Amino acid sequence: MTLTVDERWDLIEKISKETVSFGKYRHTLKDAIGELTVKPLTGIPIAIAVMYGFWSFFGSFAGFFTDGFFCKLFDGYWLPWLQGVFPGGLGNWFYAIMVDAGHTENGILVASDNCFESFGVLTSGIFLAIGVVLPAIVAFYLILTFLEDIGYMPRLAVLIDTVLHKIGLHGFAIVPTILSLGCNVPAVTASRILETKKERFIMMTLLAIFIPCGAQLGIMQEVIPESMGLVLVYLLAGYFIVGFVLNKIIPGKSPEILIDVPPYQMPKWSNVGMKMWMRVKHFFKIAIPFVLLGCVIVNVLYLTGFIDWLANVLAPVLCVWFGVPKETVGPLIAGFLRKDLAVAQLSTIEMTKYQMITSVVLVSIYFPCLATFMMILKEGWKELLGSVAVLGVVVFLYGGLMHLIWILLGVA
Amino acid sequence: MKVLLMGHPNVGKSVVFNRLTGANVMISNYPGTTVDFSKGYMKIDGKDVEVVDVPGTFSLEPKDKAEEVAIEMLKKEKDAVVICVLDASKVERGLYLALEIIENNYPVLLALNMWDVAEDKKIEINVEKLGEILGVPVIPTVAISGKGIKELVLKIKEAAPVKVDKIVERTEGRGD
Amino acid sequence: MEKKLSEMKYSEEGVVKKIEESLRIKVAGMGIRTGKKIKMITKHPMKGPVVVLVDESRTSLGLGIADKIFVEVES
Repeated sequence: MTLTVDERWDLIEKISKETVSFGKYRHTLKDAIGELTVKPLTGIPIAIAVMYGFWSFFGSFAGFFTDGFFCKLFDGYWLPWLQGVFPGGLGNWFYAIMVDAGHTENGILVASDNCFESFGVLTSGIFLAIGVVLPAIVAFYLILTFLEDIGYMPRLAVLIDTVLHKIGLHGFAIVPTILSLGCNVPAVTASRILETKKERFIMMTLLAIFIPCGAQLGIMQEVIPESMGLVLVYLLAGYFIVGFVLNKIIPGKSPEILIDVPPYQMPKWSNVGMKMWMRVKHFFKIAIPFVLLGCVIVNVLYLTGFIDWLANVLAPVLCVWFGVPKETVGPLIAGFLRKDLAVAQLSTIEMTKYQMITSVVLVSIYFPCLATFMMILKEGWKELLGSVAVLGVVVFLYGGLMHLIWILLGVA
Repeated sequence: MKVLLMGHPNVGKSVVFNRLTGANVMISNYPGTTVDFSKGYMKIDGKDVEVVDVPGTFSLEPKDKAEEVAIEMLKKEKDAVVICVLDASKVERGLYLALEIIENNYPVLLALNMWDVAEDKKIEINVEKLGEILGVPVIPTVAISGKGIKELVLKIKEAAPVKVDKIVERTEGRGD
Repeated sequence: MEKKLSEMKYSEEGVVKKIEESLRIKVAGMGIRTGKKIKMITKHPMKGPVVVLVDESRTSLGLGIADKIFVEVES
């Protein structure tokens, strides 16, 4: 026998009357803070402060370890040591892939003096993964895990609900969005908490195109700190513009927010530690093989002349339409595998600040990294095809638009 | 036999799961942390029994994709024992899902989790009486500290399907 | 006096009288049912969501949902 909805609630009412009693509850400080952080007048300034704190911690923590320790270690000891002991030497193809491809100055091949330029598997590959990206990932997840465990995320969701409605989502979409700033891969899965197909499609597409992951943020912080702000402004603007358009053209419903706002809790440090460990492990598993593989592939493509050939073929599009040097072809290829690798590679190409901003934005949006691509495929091939179609149009238009803006500002 | 952990979002199912199986499933203080199920094993009488951590769901009528996953899981596992994890400070709404599962003839146990939060809120629950009326084992737990988990494991064998009309009868027999 | 949940003022309290059929199951899962005491915690500007207190738990609902719940308030 099954009950109707009303019968079931009647039954619960009866059971509860028999077994549950509510004592007089006194509101505590925790409740007071809980309410302050969800009311607009107090909650919005607090949210801005929290996000700003998040950002500054991320920057200073990662910078402290990367500049203060890893750069010195890798550039000062590891690279010169390998350059000395690795068999082959400058000009040898195996040496180029593993240690240092060098670069030509006045027609002479010169050795690199830092791990961003050398681009060998054992030098740049390991340095980028361990020295730059790892501290960034650790800093990011430390704060995120803390915010998650005290119970701040649902409050953030309520505060941002109105804004996200404009792009066909509701407040809870902030959870996949913020997760995505760490890594797009788990964020794609997390978009399942959204109710309709329309919402999930918009979410996945926006994540894949516009949200830079922690690895990419870490690298940008290191190699283009002065341009990073504008890159993020462009990405954020793109997130809202494309979201707004998708919301208008995609059929389907965008339901309203309906969520529990749980009481604050003290985080359990054992749990924070465990989550940190799992996330860092996950990062190692999907990032390191791709970073190393990326170094190999890019080097091989350079050595075989493929990249030079492709650069000449694509030069009209790159130089005329997007206004960036044709050498960005290499990083664009690396970007299929890893965005962090692509940005690091971009930083070694000579160009103006504005070309750099355009090319970093292009590298971010033109394709999700391979791991994210596979994840969206897991959610459904139709979704994937749709996302890729949106992406193609967006890259072309948005990249062109950026170039146009620079021309109008007179800096292109 | 399989053990399914079901309940509303953010009641601590994954914490119970980690306690039962020794696994490390991510847990956070917001609804919807678990969007896919995870499997693990626990020992009952020396035998390995599969335990599944099912994404949170409010009822057996799905409202998002994570809930769909949960409900499909339940339908697929016809002979599973269901540990229904409730937030002890929100018993009423938790019972709704528990009753739905009971009506579908699954053997059910209730874990009244976050018992400490309920105590803080001065909510008193007569565990014995609740168990009597429902005819299923009811165990107060604080999964994050491990309280009540042993008892929960011991009682899994006692769970048996209950006819919901019996529950209705038992509530009508008393009170008023 | 009966009014929509969305029309309740800050910290106003009332009792849920009626919930539109289409919503009944959905919000009941969150603990909001006819006969329940409900208190408005906060309302967000620009048609933003509301946060209410029911049985000592806080739930946030979009304004469109709050429009379909009717509440009896004093005076």
